[in-house]
Amino acid sequence: MNTIHVNINNIEIPTTADKTILDVCREHKIDIPTMCHLKGLSDVGACRLCIVEIEGMNKLQSACTTKVADHMIIQTNTDRIKKYRRITTELFFAERNHVCSVCVANGKCELQNLGYQVEMDHVRYPFLFPQCEVDTSHPWYVMDHNRCIMCTRCVRVCQEVEGAHNWDVMNRGHAVRIISDFNTPWGESTTCTSCGKCLHACPTGAIWPKAIVQGQLEKKPEIIEELIEKRKMHDGF
Amino acid sequence: MNRLDFHTKIAALQQLDKTKTVQHRIGICCGAGCISSGSEEILKKLESEVQQRGLSEKVEVIPTGCMGPCNHGPLLKHLDQHTIYQKVNCTNITSILQQHVIEQTLIEDQLLFSDSRTNAHADYRADPFFKKQCKIALRNCGKINPESIEAYLLQDGYKALDKALFEYTPEEIIGEIKHSRLRGRGGAGYPTGIKWETVYKYVNNEKYVICNGDEGDPGAFMDRSILEGDPFSVLEGITIAAYAVGASKGYAYIRGEYPLAIKRFESALKQARKWGLLGNQILGSSFHFDLEVRIGAGAFVCGEETALIASIEGKRGTPKPRPPFPAQSGLWGKPTLINNVETFAAIVPIVLKGGEWYSEIGTAKSAGTKVFALAGKVNYAGLIEVPMGTSLREIVFEIGGGMQNQASFKAAQTGGPSGGCIPIEFLDVKMDYESLLSLGSIMGSGGLIIMDEHSDMVDVARFFMEFCMDESCGKCVPCRVGTKMMHDLLQKICINKGTNKDLERLEELALYVKETSLCGLGASAPNPLLSTLRHFRSEYETRIHPSQDTVQDKNQSG
Repeated sequence: MNTIHVNINNIEIPTTADKTILDVCREHKIDIPTMCHLKGLSDVGACRLCIVEIEGMNKLQSACTTKVADHMIIQTNTDRIKKYRRITTELFFAERNHVCSVCVANGKCELQNLGYQVEMDHVRYPFLFPQCEVDTSHPWYVMDHNRCIMCTRCVRVCQEVEGAHNWDVMNRGHAVRIISDFNTPWGESTTCTSCGKCLHACPTGAIWPKAIVQGQLEKKPEIIEELIEKRKMHDGF
Repeated sequence: MNRLDFHTKIAALQQLDKTKTVQHRIGICCGAGCISSGSEEILKKLESEVQQRGLSEKVEVIPTGCMGPCNHGPLLKHLDQHTIYQKVNCTNITSILQQHVIEQTLIEDQLLFSDSRTNAHADYRADPFFKKQCKIALRNCGKINPESIEAYLLQDGYKALDKALFEYTPEEIIGEIKHSRLRGRGGAGYPTGIKWETVYKYVNNEKYVICNGDEGDPGAFMDRSILEGDPFSVLEGITIAAYAVGASKGYAYIRGEYPLAIKRFESALKQARKWGLLGNQILGSSFHFDLEVRIGAGAFVCGEETALIASIEGKRGTPKPRPPFPAQSGLWGKPTLINNVETFAAIVPIVLKGGEWYSEIGTAKSAGTKVFALAGKVNYAGLIEVPMGTSLREIVFEIGGGMQNQASFKAAQTGGPSGGCIPIEFLDVKMDYESLLSLGSIMGSGGLIIMDEHSDMVDVARFFMEFCMDESCGKCVPCRVGTKMMHDLLQKICINKGTNKDLERLEELALYVKETSLCGLGASAPNPLLSTLRHFRSEYETRIHPSQDTVQDKNQSG
């Protein structure tokens, strides 16, 4: 593929047109926070954290879904973007019931890290405190909707990598919820293979294995990417 | 059927029409508004009355689409003499038949607008409500039976498709549409010709055409009325578009809340297939095209093109980031042309009369006409079609007959939940894409709600925010959580508990949601809030510092 040139934060970068802005930034250690993106899964552009300014486009674009083009001039860290990322982070925390101190993911949580990254010292919006269920019906795992941020990484990993499509989304607006099968308890699922990929894909403490307590969650989201790479090699033979 | 057979059949149809002995064609409006006030019953009553009196040879009763002045329905129109009677019912229908049709005397006190005008017109076309209008997309609405292809064919129906297939190349049609300067009537106003050209240029043996009939703005009924009143004109427009861009399969996505539109459009499809105007080798040419109706399940967001496409694919109706645009990768990843109902309805006249003719109507940047669903506190509410650039004042005070109960005009809400409010200072604004945008509103799909002095603008903003909050698909954070936060803040201000800090937060959130949302729903959700803040800021501030005087004022007026 032909080499093209893009300008990111005033640095000229040679690359190829099959990559997204996010790919190029990650390759060149340009920091862009993401929540719904997980390498190997399809991108949906839902969390809006990776928004960037592109010269000549009047709208902010999500870096994970926008392909680079020759002579594209991109800014990833302007004051406006920083301000918006902080608001998005605050809205994440205000939307459901995130209490880090009692969470299994404390210290290993992508949402918690995001809070530090955007220097969120407090949330300026009223907490919504919605009534959310905790589904403990599965013999090994727990789904805690209080900690879910609707990134849909579990939905995509289950559908695209495991091929089971146990998870999906129901309702609209702030009433959206992740559901197992047709909104039945996870333990009664006829599609779940109990593979545990959703657990590793989840950025927060929403999906976790039973029998652990605060801060003990170990997640390896990188195994999903590895798995996809291994399959590609297998297909190659 | 090949082209020659088609022409022969049309000629026979015209001959048959000429030999008819009917002298009085009586139209009964069977648009949604009139049906809900009982016009179907009136139609049956009139039909049986004509039968009983042995007048069948002289009088023909025709169910038609929307005639326009909806709040005066049920309406009866003498199609040959151009007389409209208002508020017809099962009792007075017999006297209208007796006096107007048999005795040929006008019943003045039942004429359209006779209760509000001193000089109600016997020929409705002379009334200011109609005089200022220019019906292109609505040309057949309220004039013909929407469920009869023969009636459509007698109004030069399918002449444009015939012309397109045999006299034009796809490039020439696209050239004609570009020349007409027609812009998308769904709201965004993207040039239709350029959209068609983009789809045309993508080489792919599978392309799709989609008609967006998922009209969801509160108070809007333009697409509904066109689909119910003249489905063939939309169908012919879609077929021409398919030929121009090289598609052989199409979908009409119509919202489930419009059962009558679905029924009439499906009936149109059946009849068109029978006549060989859909299917293989249309009119004997090498062009194949067929269309399927898909029924929307009630999500506002499915009017957004990428969400609509997902819905047709059988997926959850959520939008995708663009680019890629549907023209490049749309339905099932194939190049897809997606246009609104009203846009397709304008295609046939453009092909018949030429792009030049259409481009001369309207303003320099917004050509042609626009259909508005005029609603709210005006005397004459209903469905209107005016040239672009008609002023708001003309619409409210000439077509709409001024404000109800002599109240004073306060604001006009355009573009529904994606639009804004225009205050009295801008009553002379020209209704076109650019002028409305410059006032912080949008043209939108054509919802036009007129509000009087009793309307509370903070509450208006809260209402539309509640709508967007409920209709957000929940995919992206700014729209899902941002609309909820803005709604809660507006609610707080509405009950006089807001603070200046709240107002500040509200403004910050509005800009954030507008700029960061994934699709148009979120990006435009703050518009009603922003435009009321811009033009009616004092109403917000009064709520925040309620002084005794203003509380008293409210009590007196309320």
